[in-house]
Amino acid sequence: MTEQMVQRPPAEARFADELERLRQNDAAPRPPGWALSLDAARRFIVGDDALGVRRKFVGDPSLIDRSLVTLATSRGLMLVGEPGTAKSLLSELIAAAVSGDSTLTIQGGAATTEDQIKYSWNYALLVAEGPSTRSLVPAPLLRGMAEGKVVRFEEITRCPLEVQDSLLSPLSDRVLAVPELTGPDAMVFAREGFNVIATANTRDRGVNEMSAALKRRFNFETVFPIADFGTELELVEAEAAALLERSGVQAAPRRDVLEVLVTTFRELRSGSTADGRPTERPSAVMSTAEAVAVAHAVGVRGWFLRGEPGDAADIVECLAGTAAKDSPEDLARLRRYLEQQASRRGGEQWKALHAARHRLPGR
Amino acid sequence: MTVTYVGVRHHSPACARLVRRTIAELRPAHVLVEGPADFNDRLDELLLGHTLPVAIFSHHRDGERRHASWTPFCAYSPEWVALTEGRAAGAEVRFIDLPAWHPAFAGRSNRYTDAEERYAEATGRLCREFAVDNTDALWDHLVEIQDDDGMADRLAAYFDLVRGESAAGEDDTAREAYMARWIKAAEADAAGRPVVVVTGGFHRPALRALAGRAAPEKGWPEVPRPPDGATGGSYLVPYSFKRLDAFTGYQSGMPSPEYYQRVWEDGPQAAADALTEAVVRSLRERRQPVSTADLIAARTLTEGLTRLRGHRAPARTDLLDGLVAALVTDDLEQRLPWTGRGPLRSGAHPAVVAMVRALSGDRVGRLAPGTPAPPLVHDVTAELERLGLDGAGHVTLDLTGEPDLTRGRTLHRLRVLDVPGFRRESGPAGGADPVLEEVWSLTPDGDRLPALIEAGAYGATLREAAAAALDGRIAAAGPDMRALAAVLFDAALCGSADLSDRIALALRRGIAHAPDIGALGHVLGTVLGLWRHDRVLGTAGSPLFGAVIDGCVRRVLWQVEGVRGGPAPADLERLRALAAVRDAVLHAAEVIDLDRAAVLATAARVSADTDAPPDLRGAAFGLCWSLAGATGAAADPERAVRGAASPGVLGDWLAGLFALARDEVITAGNGSVLAVLDELVGRLTETDFLVALPALRQAFAFFPPRERETIARGLLERRGLRGSARSLLRTAAPPELLAAAAELDLRATTLLTTEGLLKDPPP
Repeated sequence: MTEQMVQRPPAEARFADELERLRQNDAAPRPPGWALSLDAARRFIVGDDALGVRRKFVGDPSLIDRSLVTLATSRGLMLVGEPGTAKSLLSELIAAAVSGDSTLTIQGGAATTEDQIKYSWNYALLVAEGPSTRSLVPAPLLRGMAEGKVVRFEEITRCPLEVQDSLLSPLSDRVLAVPELTGPDAMVFAREGFNVIATANTRDRGVNEMSAALKRRFNFETVFPIADFGTELELVEAEAAALLERSGVQAAPRRDVLEVLVTTFRELRSGSTADGRPTERPSAVMSTAEAVAVAHAVGVRGWFLRGEPGDAADIVECLAGTAAKDSPEDLARLRRYLEQQASRRGGEQWKALHAARHRLPGR
Repeated sequence: MTVTYVGVRHHSPACARLVRRTIAELRPAHVLVEGPADFNDRLDELLLGHTLPVAIFSHHRDGERRHASWTPFCAYSPEWVALTEGRAAGAEVRFIDLPAWHPAFAGRSNRYTDAEERYAEATGRLCREFAVDNTDALWDHLVEIQDDDGMADRLAAYFDLVRGESAAGEDDTAREAYMARWIKAAEADAAGRPVVVVTGGFHRPALRALAGRAAPEKGWPEVPRPPDGATGGSYLVPYSFKRLDAFTGYQSGMPSPEYYQRVWEDGPQAAADALTEAVVRSLRERRQPVSTADLIAARTLTEGLTRLRGHRAPARTDLLDGLVAALVTDDLEQRLPWTGRGPLRSGAHPAVVAMVRALSGDRVGRLAPGTPAPPLVHDVTAELERLGLDGAGHVTLDLTGEPDLTRGRTLHRLRVLDVPGFRRESGPAGGADPVLEEVWSLTPDGDRLPALIEAGAYGATLREAAAAALDGRIAAAGPDMRALAAVLFDAALCGSADLSDRIALALRRGIAHAPDIGALGHVLGTVLGLWRHDRVLGTAGSPLFGAVIDGCVRRVLWQVEGVRGGPAPADLERLRALAAVRDAVLHAAEVIDLDRAAVLATAARVSADTDAPPDLRGAAFGLCWSLAGATGAAADPERAVRGAASPGVLGDWLAGLFALARDEVITAGNGSVLAVLDELVGRLTETDFLVALPALRQAFAFFPPRERETIARGLLERRGLRGSARSLLRTAAPPELLAAAAELDLRATTLLTTEGLLKDPPP
């Protein structure tokens, strides 16, 4: 399978040239087991114009600083935040920068078991030869410890608590016991460079239920939605344009339409308008990622239905599906926003948005 | 070149060190400092030996505007260091900026606010370039944490870059032109000896260019004088770190004053160590767990961040970031305050609050003895002493006579000026409140003096200052009638209920635009009570309150005529407003510029208007009845009641009637309204009765128990029954339960009838 055929190669492949340039220009001392120095890893994420390294994460640079320094100490890194705030992207980028490998990933879920975290067995070999290193199938945690790499644990809070707690001894004693084996193979000691980046979103079960023992082994970093309107608009524009191009849409998204879209998302997310009037917050997630998805859908509608860039009426059509999902209350909130807030604004697109409010499904 | 320009950021220890070094090296003849030039002949006052921080408080009032502003100094202010070190080096020290009252400062309450906000684009670019969160972090990174060698060049490069080619605003241009004239004058006077100019870094490039171009100045520039008729002045006030801090103060400069104070005293490493300890101590005092492991983690992280960011010692954000990463084990509700700017919002994580508070510090300045104070301070001190109110503890006042009435007024005047330490525990809450005793608790408070000095802007005596403050509040209340009612009552308590033409106008204008009938009624009720009865506070017959009564009556009548709407639950506030109008017409006719006939005509129109809501129609009819009762031109109440007989309307209409003409209804006896009502209710079907019931109950609640008993007795008599009227008023079960039971009963009967299980359908 060639590179071109992969839908989304891992970060270390996508940005291989940037990582290589950073590595060659990296004179600062590296923490043991790291592929890059802290400084180079930081520049990989916040960008470095001189080396042609793109800025990959829009947010407070101090968050990156704290995250990297945390990984260089003996505590794990826990990224928490609303869904769609690019936590997973950040953990992938950090893993790629620190270990040169972001694929040691455990996806947390209700059905996650210890097997998928630590190790399991090739049962044919196990029956034939008994427990041995040959019949052992290492899972990401074991591999990360043995190879000295960063392990990513996505959505850790969606796992059952007892499964979460299987991280305790690897994080504190830095050792994983394999009791089925004997001799030196029975204990896998973590090599330098091993650490864990976990992500958790605050809309699911949150981090409150995590055991105090496990909490203590992580440093918590909250990832917030983008604070600045201009930055968010730029990001949505760039991401939507890239997605539209891949979908074969030949018209770039209109900036004034995107402005209306991003403003709507920000105001619904924060529950107050730019001039301080309160609006009702929908229970659905109004993240930047959702805004990009809506912008993409708007562009696709406009192009394939009418052969032009999407307009405000398309926003209304797409909002119902993304923002309101299946909740009638959210739909009502959205309708109220379009009726009451959109009508106050000046500008052609706001007027169009207000005029298209009847396209919301229901009633 | 003899003039050395030191561009600084206000409240920056690094800049203060640079100023100190520059003055020590050059031993200049003149030191010129950005600050109010009208304070130059009082510089000695500033150097009396105060405990910092202190500020110059300036206030100004003329026909058009009122303005108050502060010029704060702390130990590490470059301006303060320039003043003190300049003096010590034998230089002539002067402030060279425009006075605080000057229009160039309109809208600014802190002279030493950061100017970066006006150059946000340039600083934003730099923040991205250096990958830091904001300008404060950028400043620490580029200046505070760097070595002192080459500081002057680094600062100059920074400010040149930030200011760039962009033109300054009108206000900055005026200030820079004025400062340049002082520089030229000093240059001429120094005759070749060095001159040091300490100003905000953003002015430095412009000042250099201006002073290079300008013609030489003959003598010192004159200080602009405030326009004729304006009042104003400048006094020193004690200041506090809390007010200096950008996280809590408004329009302030560099954040975290305690941190920078320690950097100034002991350097960044010692500051970081001491403040880590302070944060941990305050968290442990609040029972937040901080283990030794956490502390080690915080140290390690701070150290790591310091190295990662290339600092020689931990900077402010290295310290904060290290602490927050180690101590917070939850998701945060809001972003960390030091990644943005502005005040700390409520709901922040306790650890974050403790950090911000520890770095902000609680130092409070103190003025040296003998510092001149505005006349108000002396007036208040003497007054409190004379009245025996200068102590601490509880004071109980008997409001029926002197001297306690005067004492109460004095305390209320201090209260309306927001001077801390005087709290009213109890006392009359309105004009008709029969409480004649007032209890105050007096607590000496460190903030009392600054508050008094700042209140000095309102006037020279306590009476004058309180009256001016109340005037301001009346004007600010505008059409907000609830706020107005509160101010007017305060005015009565302060004994300041006399009326100037200006205030009468503001009042009329505010009342004439008041949108809410209920709120108007509230004001009218409050003020009518004060105007009619209040001999204690001495407001009976006060012309100020007369004007309010007149305005409110007109506005309520005007508003009432415009209310449209079908059947709706009775609006009690609206009814109270009409009742207040009735009282005003009956008892305060001499201050109302509207004759009774006009009021009656309005009421008659509303009561006959089928578009008006029923409660209002009932109330208007009641108003007619009660007012016309005296003139004998009563309408026919029985007919009116029959007109409002539909079950959805009846109760609300009656609520209006009873609110206004309860007395007339009772006096008319059982033969009239009540008899008709009895008949109407008796004819209601079960369903209609249930519909009408809640509103009817509400309407009859206007009658006190004794009158209800009279009504009940009438009902018994009309049926020829004997028995206790009172027992009729008592119900065995809660009325809601009875109503629910009746409804259930009805539903069951209807169901049975429709299914053909019950022969006789219910009536």
